[in-house]
Amino acid sequence: MCKGIRQWCQALPFIGPALILLGVFVLYPLARNIHISFSIYDILADSITESVGFSHYQALFQNSKYLLALRNTLLYTLITVPGQMFFGLVLACLINHIKRGQTIFKVIAYLPVLTSWVIVSLIFRYIFMSGKGGLINYVLMQIGLISTPVAWLQNEWTANLVLWLFGIWKGVGWVMIIYLAALQGVSRDIYEAAQIDSANSTQIFFRITIPMVRNTTLYLLTVLTIGAFGAYIHVMMITEGAPLGTTNELMNFMYDTAFSRYDFGSAAAQSVLMGLMIFLLTLVQRKVTTETIN
Amino acid sequence: MRKMFSVLIVLVVTMSLVSSVFAETELKFWHTYSDGEEKVFLEQVLPIFEAANPDIKVNAIRMPYEGLNQQIITAVAGEVAPDLVRMDITWVAQFAKLGALISVDQMEGFDAILADALPGPMATTIYKDEHYGIPMNTNTTTGVFNLERLKELGFDAPPATLDELLAAADRADPSNEKWLFAVQGSFSWAMLPFIWTLGGSITDNAFTTSTGYLNGEATVNALETIKSWLDQGIISSCVLGEEPGTWGGIEAGNYAMVIEGPWFYSVGEAKPNFPSSTIPSVDGRSISIVGGENLVMLKGTKHQEKAWEFMKYMLSPEAQLPMVNAGMIPTMASNLNKVDTSESPWMDAYLEQLKTAAPRTPSAEWPSIEEILNTTFESILRGTISAQDGLNTAAAQIDELLAK
Amino acid sequence: MKKMNVVRVLKKIPFWILLMAFMVSALIPFLYMLATAMTPQAYTLPYPPILFPQSLYLNNFVEAWSSNHFSDYFLNSVYVSVLSTVLIILVSSLAGYGFARMNFPGKNVLFHLLMFSMMVPTLTNLVSQFLLIKNMKLMDTYLGLILTYLGTGIAANTFFLRSCFLSIPHALEESVVIDGGSHWTIWFHIVMPLSAPAVGTFAIMAFSNVWDEFLYALTIIKSPNKRTLPIALKMFQGQNLNNWSLIFAASIIALLPILFVYIIMQKQLIRGGIMDGMLKG
Repeated sequence: MCKGIRQWCQALPFIGPALILLGVFVLYPLARNIHISFSIYDILADSITESVGFSHYQALFQNSKYLLALRNTLLYTLITVPGQMFFGLVLACLINHIKRGQTIFKVIAYLPVLTSWVIVSLIFRYIFMSGKGGLINYVLMQIGLISTPVAWLQNEWTANLVLWLFGIWKGVGWVMIIYLAALQGVSRDIYEAAQIDSANSTQIFFRITIPMVRNTTLYLLTVLTIGAFGAYIHVMMITEGAPLGTTNELMNFMYDTAFSRYDFGSAAAQSVLMGLMIFLLTLVQRKVTTETIN
Repeated sequence: MRKMFSVLIVLVVTMSLVSSVFAETELKFWHTYSDGEEKVFLEQVLPIFEAANPDIKVNAIRMPYEGLNQQIITAVAGEVAPDLVRMDITWVAQFAKLGALISVDQMEGFDAILADALPGPMATTIYKDEHYGIPMNTNTTTGVFNLERLKELGFDAPPATLDELLAAADRADPSNEKWLFAVQGSFSWAMLPFIWTLGGSITDNAFTTSTGYLNGEATVNALETIKSWLDQGIISSCVLGEEPGTWGGIEAGNYAMVIEGPWFYSVGEAKPNFPSSTIPSVDGRSISIVGGENLVMLKGTKHQEKAWEFMKYMLSPEAQLPMVNAGMIPTMASNLNKVDTSESPWMDAYLEQLKTAAPRTPSAEWPSIEEILNTTFESILRGTISAQDGLNTAAAQIDELLAK
Repeated sequence: MKKMNVVRVLKKIPFWILLMAFMVSALIPFLYMLATAMTPQAYTLPYPPILFPQSLYLNNFVEAWSSNHFSDYFLNSVYVSVLSTVLIILVSSLAGYGFARMNFPGKNVLFHLLMFSMMVPTLTNLVSQFLLIKNMKLMDTYLGLILTYLGTGIAANTFFLRSCFLSIPHALEESVVIDGGSHWTIWFHIVMPLSAPAVGTFAIMAFSNVWDEFLYALTIIKSPNKRTLPIALKMFQGQNLNNWSLIFAASIIALLPILFVYIIMQKQLIRGGIMDGMLKG
């Protein structure tokens, strides 16, 4: 008992500030949010006007636009998370192989990460413009892949494709930096031993590199999934949900519900659902990944 | 002792008098003027007010238009709201319903304003029989033409009727990105002028029911007509959000006509090769859409009287007439008579068009109604639903909202 | 011997092709942005697209810079970002150390709470976080904004730094503990310097996150003289719809400082890496 108190006295200066911030800025708002999700909330009076039980939740599952946004978010997550991780790891291995001048490659690869979501979204919107003057249309027409310009952002699946490409392109550099830090922690002896055993580079990649960066992979999987669920600027800036809400994602839909329709109760219910989904997804990921690795 | 006392009293009284003259009240005023509009406002309109009211200092703050509604709500809820906001006319009812605005019916001199104001713009400040602001400026859209393209099509001047314009349809060349004209998008701001001009309607004149109007024969025909223009390459896929847009397209000669607001002319250099004219008529109808901004007082202001002084000033000729050159049409009948368009000849068409322009459904539910309309129009144009089916569903949904 | 070299070079070709493919795809959009920013304004897309600047046309940059208080917004952003980054590193490295190296009752429970909080997407609580700032009377203040940045990221940041600290061998600290050094000594003199590359990477990420953050800044900050760069940029876009040359010129101005910070920090990272190697040797 006495030991416990002494330990706490020692630990408190270290973890105290973080715990207070966690309580005030994450846990308390979370609790308040859950409360609001069961009510009709008047933001101007800062008060709950009526308690409505689960009706916000029930309404959401009958709302086809919400379900569409849910589908899109799941697809975005399922495609961009593995996409970023695969390309990021490959890129990290490539750069790790360079003996001199790594910096320039790192800087270039990190450029999309450094650039704000707002700016990158604008660039994508501009590159994927419809009409023959759009860069992507121009290039594809020049190499003969398409004969007439594609209206990328005005059709459901091409617009979603652009959003997925955006997600992967924007995130690869970040994944690369994290993996690179992990790779540089891997002792060179292991690779040298493998080379002496005349393993080829593909074998080294799958047998040594991937298992060595296992913990990093787990970390990335969690962080990227949360990131993909919470992403919104790209939709807001590139497609605005068009055409007909078929590119909306959960976060956008929630934001609209709260600040365009002032339905804060429903928005709170959406965020509770989103938190639950991410929680379950991360648990499943953790379990599956740990089992496959072992 | 007594002498000292009276000296003290005199001193205190003078001090308070002096301080009441020099104590400045700062009014925070949010607006979304463009560069050109802001320049006119700050250089020609505001100085006169501040000279006449030395005790009031107006802090004009330019806000980003996108997300402005969120800004207002969070500012009011967060108790850091400005005193005054210039907002889109379609927002007022909704913010009044939320309880963010102060009713101005009881303010001094309101009845005189009510008597002089144009009824259309004034109606946009009403929520539940009370006025929650004053109409600051009004506007509409008209036809903007590319003179060179008109000549290629065989016109010397903008055509008066839509039939005349459509007669040149065979000279459009969609494969070379030369269309006849453009509909800016499938959203209601761009679609309603065409729907109304073609004879369609959203509700009855009293804005109480939609069924029988939005899904009536005339509106169904209007939507089918616009869809057929798209299918035949008379208008471009600009209506579905594709390039080229109206501004770039009219300047590059992709279109002979686009429908645009006066801001097309008030931004940048003079555009003599792009004359404005009323929307080409159908059966004598040329009906555009009423736009504009209202000035409202936000709940939480500590300076109601002074804010009201500023609101009244913004309706005066000193305030409304200089803004005409920035494309803002006065909202007071007495000011409208004094408008001189010699410096901005393109304004004539807008003033003419405004006479027949129609308002959007005045309702606190307008944002939801608009969403239904936008979705329905886009679905019809994309061919995912027939005009009749789409409008039937929409009319039923809008009826529910109007009944609220 | 020569033959060996040729084979070695040939073996390297796919490697370089792959690397170059990555580099080109990362760079092209930026090149296109730069070329557009250096093209006199047209509202239509030039055909064929201009991928390389045609001339040294800089008017768009001048116009973007002069038509806004970009320098003011820039300084605001620097102030908020630097202060937030320093505080974020301080608070989360202390907590990270606490969870990595110290023992106390209830540690596991607290750590799971931390992991759980990580899974709450920060923005989903926007409304209630906004209400919190309002109740704390911190609306329209940088303190409110910086505390929000600090608070909403605390779980993920602590988790990240804890993982970094865990990978440092315990052996190095034992000498200090034997010498009677406290946890503060270990944190400051051993753990932090040893994780310099990771903390540097972390600092860049934290800095760029805050630098680019848009929604909280827009919600909490209301006075125009307190605006940060992303708000100014978004506003600029709203006012210059379709004027892509001007928008991209403004975007590049907003991008340069963070690029500069990154390149400076990058050198630090290399130095950290060298030190790392020395200690290991």
